[in-house]
Amino acid sequence: MGVLRPLRARHPEPVSVDPDDIVGALLLRAGRGDQSAFGELYDELAPMVHGVVLKVVRDPAMSEEVTQEVFVELWRLAARFDGTKGTARSWASTLAHRRAIDRVRSEQASRDRNDRDAQRAVAPHDVVAAEVETTLDVARVRRALAQLSDLQREAVELAYFGGHTYREVAVLLGVAEGTVKSRIRDGLIRLRDELGGEA
Amino acid sequence: MSDIDVHHLAAAYALDALDQRERAAFEAHYERCDVCRADVLEFRGTMAEVAGALSTPPPPSLKDRVMADIAVTRQLSPSLVAPVPAPTGRSRGSWAMLAAAAAVIIALVVGVVAFNGGNDDDPFNDELAAVLEQPDSRMIELDNQSDLDGMFKVAWSPSMGKAVLMGENLPVAPDGKAYELWLISGDQSMAMYVLDTAGDGQVHRSVPTPAEPTAWAITMEPVEGSAVATGDIMFIAEV
Ligand SMILES: [Zn+2]
Repeated sequence: MGVLRPLRARHPEPVSVDPDDIVGALLLRAGRGDQSAFGELYDELAPMVHGVVLKVVRDPAMSEEVTQEVFVELWRLAARFDGTKGTARSWASTLAHRRAIDRVRSEQASRDRNDRDAQRAVAPHDVVAAEVETTLDVARVRRALAQLSDLQREAVELAYFGGHTYREVAVLLGVAEGTVKSRIRDGLIRLRDELGGEA
Repeated sequence: MSDIDVHHLAAAYALDALDQRERAAFEAHYERCDVCRADVLEFRGTMAEVAGALSTPPPPSLKDRVMADIAVTRQLSPSLVAPVPAPTGRSRGSWAMLAAAAAVIIALVVGVVAFNGGNDDDPFNDELAAVLEQPDSRMIELDNQSDLDGMFKVAWSPSMGKAVLMGENLPVAPDGKAYELWLISGDQSMAMYVLDTAGDGQVHRSVPTPAEPTAWAITMEPVEGSAVATGDIMFIAEV
């Protein structure tokens, strides 16, 4: 082991945003307290945030509540957005999904929900259909999902849409936890390649 | 949990498909793992596209409620963005915090423990989850000011009076030496724990917090532990 060097400082990289990231630019302005920029940001992101939350939470009234929480949190955290760590849209969808998951887990997912999820998972093309809004995106995503193996797709959908942990997914699908872990990983790599190829 | 296992959690993490304990364990790992960080970023980008395809506009009335809420909600300061920013010239100052406080040192827990965390029956995981469940819990990563690899994170809850320490990728301490954790509260430095790493470089340990921390630090000390810090500060985070 080497000798300890005297202390060295580490400086954070300056906050930056991809110039093409309109949402990121709005978020930066919102971070400086600009409420009207935040209003525009809301218009840009609300359908996506609400869509993710609704997909996971299911209950419309509760989904509205969670969506509201997500936006208040985006407002609180806006100044901490770091464009070097992904786009603002990606940040918002991550936060939306996390909050939705926290809500359903704290509600102690009921048995019915599990059963319904298991049934949904075996009907692959039903996944996105109900929430069709931007048909082009939907078609792309559906095409990409269709490239996954059945087990990959079921595992990803039960986790992301169903809000289950991979351990719960293993029980739902009756396969080993390790298998689910690797199917989720393989599935996401496949999805990334499929979506990346057309972006 | 072996390194390979941890790396393979990146996809499940990006889907929020880890339970709370695994989530915390993975978060302790991935900030120092370029592979996992890149994976998570990419997977999140991919899922953001999937999320876009789920778009469903909320009722228009929601916007009014959100705008009313944010008008009365204070924003967090951007100065906290940095992962433990380290002011220049802190060397002496931080050291002074430890050294000058010698007279009021409270040696709390001194023991040497090798701990291999990560398995499910591991009581540490429950302890970590219990701390993180507290509304006032906080988690902070210590700034690595040594030239060694490795990282430490501390999560604690003032209301519980408890902290958990997580270390990753740590070199085994040299013979006769051990890492020691310090809680700094105002002008007091408290020796919290002396630890060694198991062969896998991980440390998981919970300790009581007798005072509100203003900083956490790690030094290298004789293996029997010091009541007064004698080594350089290797890792530190101001709260
Ligand atoms: Zn990794």
